[in-house]
Amino acid sequence: MDKLLLKKAFPQWVKKLQAYRIYAPSKDKDIWTYEAVNTPEDVDLDFLTTALSPKKIIFPQREIYFEFKKASEDEPEIKEILPANGPTIMLGVRSCDAKALTLTDKVFGGDFEDVYYWKRRNQTVLVGLACNTPPSPNCFCLSVDGSPHSTDGLDILLTDMGDKYHVESLTKNGVKLLNLAKNLFTPPKAGDKKDLQKIHSESEKKIKKQIKNLKKIPPKLKGMWDSSFWDEEAMSCLRCGICTYMCPTCHCFDINDEVHSHAPLTGKRIRTWDTCQFPDFTMHSSGHNPRPDKASRLRQRIMHKFQYFVEHYQNYQCTGCGRCITNCPVGIDIIEVLDKVRDYGS
Amino acid sequence: MVNVEDLRKEAKRILKEGKVKYVIGYERGQNGLMPKPAFIKDPEDVDRLIWDPTCVHNLTKFLVDEKKRKAGEKKPDERPVGIVVKGCDSRAIVVLLQEKYINREDIHILGISCEKTGVIDEKKLANKLKGKKAENSELDEKGNFVISVQGGTIKVPAEELLAERCLECRANYPVVYDLLLGDKTKKKVEEPFKSLEKMESLSEKERWAFWTEQLAKCIRCYACRSACPMCYCDECVVDTINFAVTADTTASEKAGKIKWVEKSPVPSENFVYHMVRAMHLAGRCIDCGECERVCPLDIPLRFLNKKLEKEAKELFGYDAGFDPDEPSLVSSFKDEDPEDFIR
Amino acid sequence: MAEQFEPRIVAFLCKWCSSAGSDLAGVSRMQYPPNVIPITVMCSGSVSPLYIFDAFNKGADGVLVSGCHPGDCHYIKGNYYARRRIAIVKKLLDFIGLEPERFQMSWVSAAEGKKYTQIISDFVEELKPLGPQTKLRRNI
Repeated sequence: MDKLLLKKAFPQWVKKLQAYRIYAPSKDKDIWTYEAVNTPEDVDLDFLTTALSPKKIIFPQREIYFEFKKASEDEPEIKEILPANGPTIMLGVRSCDAKALTLTDKVFGGDFEDVYYWKRRNQTVLVGLACNTPPSPNCFCLSVDGSPHSTDGLDILLTDMGDKYHVESLTKNGVKLLNLAKNLFTPPKAGDKKDLQKIHSESEKKIKKQIKNLKKIPPKLKGMWDSSFWDEEAMSCLRCGICTYMCPTCHCFDINDEVHSHAPLTGKRIRTWDTCQFPDFTMHSSGHNPRPDKASRLRQRIMHKFQYFVEHYQNYQCTGCGRCITNCPVGIDIIEVLDKVRDYGS
Repeated sequence: MVNVEDLRKEAKRILKEGKVKYVIGYERGQNGLMPKPAFIKDPEDVDRLIWDPTCVHNLTKFLVDEKKRKAGEKKPDERPVGIVVKGCDSRAIVVLLQEKYINREDIHILGISCEKTGVIDEKKLANKLKGKKAENSELDEKGNFVISVQGGTIKVPAEELLAERCLECRANYPVVYDLLLGDKTKKKVEEPFKSLEKMESLSEKERWAFWTEQLAKCIRCYACRSACPMCYCDECVVDTINFAVTADTTASEKAGKIKWVEKSPVPSENFVYHMVRAMHLAGRCIDCGECERVCPLDIPLRFLNKKLEKEAKELFGYDAGFDPDEPSLVSSFKDEDPEDFIR
Repeated sequence: MAEQFEPRIVAFLCKWCSSAGSDLAGVSRMQYPPNVIPITVMCSGSVSPLYIFDAFNKGADGVLVSGCHPGDCHYIKGNYYARRRIAIVKKLLDFIGLEPERFQMSWVSAAEGKKYTQIISDFVEELKPLGPQTKLRRNI
């Protein structure tokens, strides 16, 4: 269903959405992040991209699994703590970040569903904002089967058309949101559709970075396990972990028990983000570490995203948001690494 | 003025003569203006080396990496490593020498003086350019940064773009080197700790509010720790339980594996991590600014370390990173150390 | 009737002087507030800043580090190192906005039982108006 919404009517629509918990981009000095907003006036869609992707709302950095309490010789009491969030809306999600959620859905879903992930996911409605211009000079969504106006994973896609938004509602949940303020939405005219197509095709042309012949890379990677290529590329890596924390598709985690008191023994079991780039990520309890050096960890990152994930889920585990390139302190560029992989040995 | 050809010539010489395994320097990056670390092994590749006001990174961390890599090799190449350093970076080398973490014979230092200025702060430059893409940067004789953008150049007085720490720099040329390029005149800094003035004049309540707000943002990515050359511990205080207990672990080692900090990125735990890190860097931090530069959430980490640097100077007359034979701050004392706070 | 706040003080006492001094206070039946949790350490120089931050993280309202007078250290120099390190810790805690009254250091010799009781009494009186320490206490 396609509709138009005047920009000046946008706050009125947001006001009608107050039954939901709304997350929108919010600015703190120079850094944009997704935060809960309390008033429609706080919503500002005039942003480029956020430092941390919206995955933190579905897959928070700290998730409590359960509380435990063991008083003396009694059986321990375990109380499952499910996320208490209610219906949630994420406003202003970029297509790359929405597509990333469809990829993490495959990992946390399938044969074994992660209760905590899906409790949040099923209650979240995603309202996307198409990129009329690339939010970052490092964007490359087109190379990884994405696009600046892709609807993958979204319930609604907004496109900025100057004084109005084009509103494409894609799912039942999306339609529900529109129905809360039916009178604010008008049908588009033939001219509007043409303008929309123009905006979308122009936005694709503006993306400068690309990975040529990405299809050649997964099979090439398979043969590069023992190559010294990784030693060279990883020389400047600081193993800081920023690439994985910023990435909208990265999802590795650690589970720890936090003990709050010893008598009675009480505490919580929690899940936190973890990164394959830390040296102790693969430390075994025997003391052996299969990835003791930066080369093996960089290889892991590239292969997981562009070979293992392709084999298992027929998708690249990358949506081209460019955050890893922008934030890497030593300028390691995943596109440059992939180009070298493709051309390696020739 | 520094001529980068002199740098390349020397790099070529030491590589050709087999004096060093490789040279760590700066090369042009592909994403905008900022350079990236280069590891030059082949003498014919030395033209990749650059030197300009965007060379912000502290490359000393890679000396720590080199040592760890050698420790894992069965027959390591024992030749030294060449490294390009600015004044601040050289102080980091002095601290590593002081702590006997590396040996002087293992490094061949190509020192470059920042002369009267310093390096460009990437964020200040982005604010100045407002979306325009910069292609090159140079320092002219009048003390301006000349930035070439598409369609012309922009001239900006250096102080407007300099990294904050360069405004208080106490080591504008390397203090230890095998080769020194550029002028060896000490830059006069009237008030070396002026940046702390504002923070110190705030009330206790305001300071607490500031630090709570800033450290609540921390996602404990530990980029600050990874970028710091002085954070070289194999097992960090926040990782004590991540390291394995094996058949060989002694009883005292096991007893020492206390979980000091929970992994959750909540303010109380973030405070412990950052305060412990500040204490571990007391008298060692030389203000290369990497911790603050790499932080993805722009937390002003330098203030914590700068404060302790100031106290080390004012209370104990201690200056980190100038004399490799000096004992460290916390493992030495003077009879005159202040004790007015002791009851 | 509102219960008066009783601050809890974690005191790191060096075995040879301060801890002995606290024992003397006890044996001599000197009265002093019971708000202290004493931890005997071998030397004030062995007190790591990590212990101090951890004490505050676990909810201590006040932390005291007490050692031998300069020149009297059983290990000759330990208390001089402590003097330097604790000075730095104090500056850091003050800088981040913790109330400066919450963290103290003292020299108490094995014969100074009376001084020990005075230090604790003064400390408790200074902490009472500040209320419980919530700034650095673990809050998960």
